[in-house]
Amino acid sequence: MYEFTPMGWLKHCVFHPIEGFEDLRWKKQGSMKIAMGIVVLLFVAMVVNRQLIGFQFNGAYTKVFNVVPLLVQSVVYFFTWVIANWSICTLLDGEGRLKQICINSAYALVPYIVSVFITVFLSNFMLLEEAIWLNAVYYLGMGWSVVLMFQAMKAVHQYSVLKTFFSIVLTIAAMLIILFLMILLLSLFQQVYVFFYSIYTEISYRIRG
Amino acid sequence: MKTVQMKKAIKKAISLTLATLCVSSTMLTAYASEPYDSYSYDFWDDPVPAQAAYKVNDTYTGKNLGLERLTDPEDELFISKNISTSLSGAKDIFFEETLEEFWVADTQNSRILRLNKDLQLIGCYTGVDSTESGKASFNAPTGMFVKVEENGDVILYVGDTQNSRIVKCKIVDGLNCECLLEIGKPDSAIYSSKSNTFLPEKILVDGADNIYAVCTSLNAGSAQFNYKGEFQGFYGANRVEVTAEIIRRQIWRIFASDEQLKSMESAAPTEYKNFDIDAEGFIYTCTEAANTTTDAVKKLNAAGYNIWNNDAGNEYHFGDIVTGSTYDAATNTNYTTRLTDLDIDKDGFINILDYSTGRVFVYDEFCSLVTIFGTKNNNSDQKGSFNAPNAVETAYGNVYVVDGTKNDITVYSTTLYGSYLKQAVLLYDDGRYEDAEPYWQEVLDRNGTCSFALLGLGKAALNKGEYKLAMEYFEDCYAQRSYDRAFKYYREQWLQDNFILVFVVVVALLIFIAVFSTLKKKGIIKKRVRKVKKAAPERKKTKKELEHEAQIAAELEAQKAEASEAFEAQEAEKEEE
Repeated sequence: MYEFTPMGWLKHCVFHPIEGFEDLRWKKQGSMKIAMGIVVLLFVAMVVNRQLIGFQFNGAYTKVFNVVPLLVQSVVYFFTWVIANWSICTLLDGEGRLKQICINSAYALVPYIVSVFITVFLSNFMLLEEAIWLNAVYYLGMGWSVVLMFQAMKAVHQYSVLKTFFSIVLTIAAMLIILFLMILLLSLFQQVYVFFYSIYTEISYRIRG
Repeated sequence: MKTVQMKKAIKKAISLTLATLCVSSTMLTAYASEPYDSYSYDFWDDPVPAQAAYKVNDTYTGKNLGLERLTDPEDELFISKNISTSLSGAKDIFFEETLEEFWVADTQNSRILRLNKDLQLIGCYTGVDSTESGKASFNAPTGMFVKVEENGDVILYVGDTQNSRIVKCKIVDGLNCECLLEIGKPDSAIYSSKSNTFLPEKILVDGADNIYAVCTSLNAGSAQFNYKGEFQGFYGANRVEVTAEIIRRQIWRIFASDEQLKSMESAAPTEYKNFDIDAEGFIYTCTEAANTTTDAVKKLNAAGYNIWNNDAGNEYHFGDIVTGSTYDAATNTNYTTRLTDLDIDKDGFINILDYSTGRVFVYDEFCSLVTIFGTKNNNSDQKGSFNAPNAVETAYGNVYVVDGTKNDITVYSTTLYGSYLKQAVLLYDDGRYEDAEPYWQEVLDRNGTCSFALLGLGKAALNKGEYKLAMEYFEDCYAQRSYDRAFKYYREQWLQDNFILVFVVVVALLIFIAVFSTLKKKGIIKKRVRKVKKAAPERKKTKKELEHEAQIAAELEAQKAEASEAFEAQEAEKEEE
């Protein structure tokens, strides 16, 4: 059948939304390195979209640049998605393994990332009245990524269309639960930290007299 | 003996240093800045420090105003020996432009004071004679309006609050006025359906002698009377501010029974507190209720509609941009904005007084913030800070604020920075961007973060065709729409200037592609042989896999051996049999 290099496989998946991920699965292909590269690029795209977009299109509060929200919106959301999907689909007889889910999800994000880069580049030469072209590119990329993501999940778990849809809805719910628990955990650890820190200050005051 | 001398010497030295310290400290106060921090809001509604556009000029108490003349028997303005010679809870101030006179409603002393342009007393009116109701003296008048007729008659309108009437009278001399018209509570059913009381507070008279009165707890707008004193209706009511509470109530209404409906509060708009009329006859209102966003300040046409296109109700910001209450370091309290009075000066600047903080907000005619000054002070002992700022008025480029607790009038005068700023804003609003440029430059020299100045300079540069410079200015003040326009022209110009370059590059690219593809067709350039098309190279087996394979092979071997052994054993058994 097909024989590609790892990058060739990525191209094959992106441009063949129907059977690309099925082929990827049957040939047991897909590179974790490339997948991680894509996640990094997703983060870079987020940063670029905030910092390098044409001045007239920039709606962000540019006085302060905080990388943490962008990191959360890209990398953390991605891995939460992967873990949530894995945990849901393991229960729903999905055939995908964690690594496969990770690789397939990352591959599906490529059109979105590319569209962001194109949008940011073009926005530096365009006027507000031409914004419709930028929006067209952006939403095209996003829509394409959504379709790919659906196909990727369908292929990796060998689901029917309806089951894929429900698994994705459940995955989003699971993501919310995971994020909620993470925040809870963070605040708990913060409390613990504050507790120990106050003990430390108390003791240090006593020692100093 | 020596020790005593030493002690004396030390004492002398100490007293000398103390004396110098005292002197230097008094000198320091002479250089003290204003009692408030001027600031402005930037594109993101963040407060940004700014130069002071107004400085405290002077404060006038009853003594400075010359109120002692009222108790001097030899003076022509003598009323009685024991009449108060200070202001008390003054609620309103009005500047009459033809006479150049100030009129002050000295509310708790129940009198109207008439002051000349230097704020010196020239008249005092405690009541009117010969009225229908028989009430002669005023009772807590909170507002007044003065109009000079074409024949030179000075007509005074008084909102005589506690007497529930509006009085129109003609000034006779420094102490007497003659009643022309007395308006009591309107008989109209329309009026009584909205309010049971008639407590007129602020009075306004338009060009056609119609009288408008803001009344206490009347939220249907101001009561409007014609020149004969007949009730005409209500004028310019505020709209109901849509809050979560109002929506909740509206939903409840759907399910509530008739009895429940009766006991429910209806959604009423907040009444506006004060108004002013500009030179063109537009009436501006301001609403005092805390943190009003809907219709906080309105510009009304003759029909009572807000001509600032404002469907959502909160597209224009007035006062401090805060949500909820905000901490104020000057008074060490939390405050919510309460816009108590406004004044439109002759240049069209809108001066709005915030009762909570004592700040005066100055806007241009398009509601862009120009400057903020003034403050409140807990102990109110500082010149230029207020305790109960009640009214604001402008004249001669000065701003006059009446304080109802400190009982004085504070005069703010424009600083050099302020005069440049106002001049620049006026020219800018007229669209004369290039004329405004030198003024903006002066403003920017004194206040580098003034975004209004950057915007003005940007527009001037744009008009002059310096698009790149304009873009830089617009980027600095974050004016995205203006930047977009400058960029449009800049891009156009760039394309025109570099047309040949662009043309050559495009043509070269097209030729290259054409040549390349024909060469490819003819096979002169071979297609790039991709590794991809080759069979994927055999992956090197990992150690584990090799081991695994070896193990499997060994197992197979062993099985074969076992099987053959078993076979041999069977054969052997058969043979034995």
